[in-house]
Amino acid sequence: MSRPEYLEIVESIFEKTKHVRTDEFKYIGKRVVRWDAISKVTGQPIFAADLVKLVKNPVYVVSVRSKYAHALIKSVNVADAEKYPGVIKVFTAKDIPGINDIGYVIPDQPMIANYKVRYIGDTVALIAAESLENARDAAELVVVDYEPLPVYLDPLQIVDFETLQEKEHVLIHDERGTDILTRYRIRVGNVEKAFKEASVIVENVYKTPAQEHAYLEPEAAIAIPEPDGGVTIYAKTQCPFDVRRAVSNVLGLPYHMVRVIAPALGGGFGGAEDVGNEVAAKAALVALALKRPAVVIHTREESTIAHTKRHAMIAYYKHAASRDGRLLAVEARIVMDTGAYASLGPFVPWRATVHSTGPYRVENAKIDVVNVYTNKVPAGAFRGFGNPQVHFAVERQMDLLAEELGMDPVEFRLKNILRNGDRTVHGQLLDHGVGLEEALKRAVELSRYYEKKKLYESMTGRVRRGIGVAVMYHGNSIGAEGADYSAVSIIINRDGSITFRSGTTDMGQGSLMSLVLIAAEVLGVPPSYFRIEPPDTASVPDSGPTVASRVTVMTGNATLVAAYKLRQRLNTVATKMLGCKSPDDVVIEAPKVYCKDNPEKYITWRELVEQCFWEGVPLQEYGYFRAPRAEWHDETGTGQPYFTYTFGAIVSEVEVDLDTGVVRVIEATTVYDIGRVINRVGAELHAVGGYIQGMGYALMEDTYYSPDGRLLNLSFSTYHIPTILDEPSRINVDFVEAGYFRGPFGAKGLGEPSIVGVAPSIANAVAHALRDKRAKYDVNAIPLTPDFVYKIIRKHKIE
Amino acid sequence: MPTLHKVKLKVNGREFELEVPPHERLIDTLRYRLGLMGVKEGCGRGECGTCIVLINGEPRHSCLTLTARIDGSEVQTIEGLAPEGMLHAIQVAFIETGGIQCGFCTPGFIMVTKALLDRNPSPSDEEIREWLTSVLCRCGSYPYYELAVKRAAEYLRQGKVYFSEKEVREKLHMKVVG
Repeated sequence: MSRPEYLEIVESIFEKTKHVRTDEFKYIGKRVVRWDAISKVTGQPIFAADLVKLVKNPVYVVSVRSKYAHALIKSVNVADAEKYPGVIKVFTAKDIPGINDIGYVIPDQPMIANYKVRYIGDTVALIAAESLENARDAAELVVVDYEPLPVYLDPLQIVDFETLQEKEHVLIHDERGTDILTRYRIRVGNVEKAFKEASVIVENVYKTPAQEHAYLEPEAAIAIPEPDGGVTIYAKTQCPFDVRRAVSNVLGLPYHMVRVIAPALGGGFGGAEDVGNEVAAKAALVALALKRPAVVIHTREESTIAHTKRHAMIAYYKHAASRDGRLLAVEARIVMDTGAYASLGPFVPWRATVHSTGPYRVENAKIDVVNVYTNKVPAGAFRGFGNPQVHFAVERQMDLLAEELGMDPVEFRLKNILRNGDRTVHGQLLDHGVGLEEALKRAVELSRYYEKKKLYESMTGRVRRGIGVAVMYHGNSIGAEGADYSAVSIIINRDGSITFRSGTTDMGQGSLMSLVLIAAEVLGVPPSYFRIEPPDTASVPDSGPTVASRVTVMTGNATLVAAYKLRQRLNTVATKMLGCKSPDDVVIEAPKVYCKDNPEKYITWRELVEQCFWEGVPLQEYGYFRAPRAEWHDETGTGQPYFTYTFGAIVSEVEVDLDTGVVRVIEATTVYDIGRVINRVGAELHAVGGYIQGMGYALMEDTYYSPDGRLLNLSFSTYHIPTILDEPSRINVDFVEAGYFRGPFGAKGLGEPSIVGVAPSIANAVAHALRDKRAKYDVNAIPLTPDFVYKIIRKHKIE
Repeated sequence: MPTLHKVKLKVNGREFELEVPPHERLIDTLRYRLGLMGVKEGCGRGECGTCIVLINGEPRHSCLTLTARIDGSEVQTIEGLAPEGMLHAIQVAFIETGGIQCGFCTPGFIMVTKALLDRNPSPSDEEIREWLTSVLCRCGSYPYYELAVKRAAEYLRQGKVYFSEKEVREKLHMKVVG
């Protein structure tokens, strides 16, 4: 097969621009005001629930949710609920015309439970009523006869931590015959031999919590029945094409009868990856059955039990190093808790597996990862997707190893990190931009690491300070998880204005701005000529999901391709109009268009566009990009799992109060190698915002259950996220631009990478502040809540 | 059916006479009766701060306020911060400092900032943080919002309260600013 044209375009533009400094571009790397900033400061109705304003005579849909975490359903009686004032109809599993399933990757999750419930949150019926209030009242009247089954809240009840074999228990997914969802492994080199020859071995057990996304906008969906039997849905979702698939399945309709539009999202972070399927399918079911617009709006509490969490992890790690500080081998057994349904659970532990040895040269590795069902709120996608969990363990291990070797943590890392020309643990040759060494050195310099380390070690008294470093890497896009493509449409209108549509969404991250900057740079027109339309499955080709830090690189490439093709056509027409020597000599600096050697003689952008319309030169283009194929060998854990990696180094400084165990982050430094800074505002907001969210993960965020499986902290007074009072007094941000030849202008993703290394850098700083060598082994779990830290302080009598 | 209460409210300068059930929350009156969707509901428990509006100049959670209890009050939401066609200095400052991400929390932060600057035109860093702690932002824009408050305070001290929305749009909308 010949190489696709889109690859040629992306690579040739990289070649042409790789020596251009970022500040030499006109729009790339600049600070540009977001397209929706004015709408957002004026409170325009832009979120899904706000659009109820535009709907007449809606039906409100409320889910009746399970009161048991694990039980068989003997019967569901809706008679009383249906008689309640304002109730139009109560839907149960038998009312679903298509397939009763909203599972994201595998079909294991009924939209309305039929014969059993698997967590407190499963939907057992849907109330459709004239008002939200009536619907909520009536939900209390649905009578479900349950036969309770044993409730499993600890993944180690399902699987043995030593052997990783499934234990005897009452199956949660009896239909699957096992509660082990997935297993992955890496087998490289000879671990036993390496451990025998090692001078230093460090082993420990690590735990990370199920983190809640806590995006501020609870989910909502509005479904409007169409006259031809189709349905149009506005839903909070990161992935409109996945919503379309789910709704089509549930309703038994072909894809083209289901149109999904994604309005602005009030945060997503991965949590809005699959819950959108659920709210949209529920609204669509009711809308089509009752022939009226149907609305689902979640409360905070319902949102918290309805959408997935970050997978909790428990991991045993063993590392070996030589006396001179070379990493020799890694062994790990990792158990992840996927909760009641798979969601993204088949993929999250795969990413964890790929990254399970960190950004280091490792020649001997034996890694086993197992993901198991429990009766908790399902775990799925959350910024980082399995990677923050394993990086926490690996980066703590690195500090313990350095300590045992008597080396500085930075020096030890510099001896072992991945560089250009190295191979990853999977055998993948890193043949382009690996900016990790530069990132680490710059983070050390910006934070004045050595100076502060010395200073903090000399401090005495109640409040101690510590400084910690972590490095990270993160495979871009979805890799070997599946078909990896993206698309955009660019339409240059006859007045010269440009309609831009991407199939990937904005959940606040601003990456659609990056796309416009790419198109603006290629076309030579200012970003303000563009209008960004909401993603709409009826108007743009399937773009894949908005996940995995893939928008800037994948949709960015699709944008680059579309803009490049348009530019070629525009250049040809302009050459004729202006008499340039060659199309390559055409300079577009809209509103001016001229030949390179004669800027005085120009035509306007609008004239050029008009001429294209007269000549029949089409000024609309779909851009498409398919990532190079990834490769993964299940037996050995080798291959080319991702086409490129983002690298980063994080330094955190903390204060630990020895009398209370309270930890405060006082300063932070992050340096990421993102290939090329495209959207400077967005990149900095990610570095800062990812840090603050990672700080919540490190210090305060965890979910708690009652013994019968009820998630207890459903609100912000019980689930604490960082407030402005928790922010460090300073966050230093810098970027390394080590250029990826298949990224747009060399760019790589930053959405998820910005959280991956934060928690371990903070934990390393806490361990540094505690100073006691044995105590450091106990800094092996997050969140580092005051009571957890205080227990370590007391146990080791640190004064 | 519960007794309906007659309530007079002045919302963003306009008089309304409403008949509401005794348990109706102000947030629902504003969003669903008056269509003021700039008032956001993030939690419904007075914890996230995205629904904060000014009632007689005081910042209040509209999700914890019963409409029937504030008869005769004056309510200001983000939609009423500036006259038609204008933007308030606080709104301009929030755009200019570049911290806006998902934007769900932004109306809450702006209304709290208004209440703060009405009381104290030159707040210290500590005062700014203490006031802004009443609103949560999960995207982590806090440092930028702090700068926005300071910038807004500066505008107001210079007597620049309202800006033409058209001019702001021409100057800033999708424009290179640095």
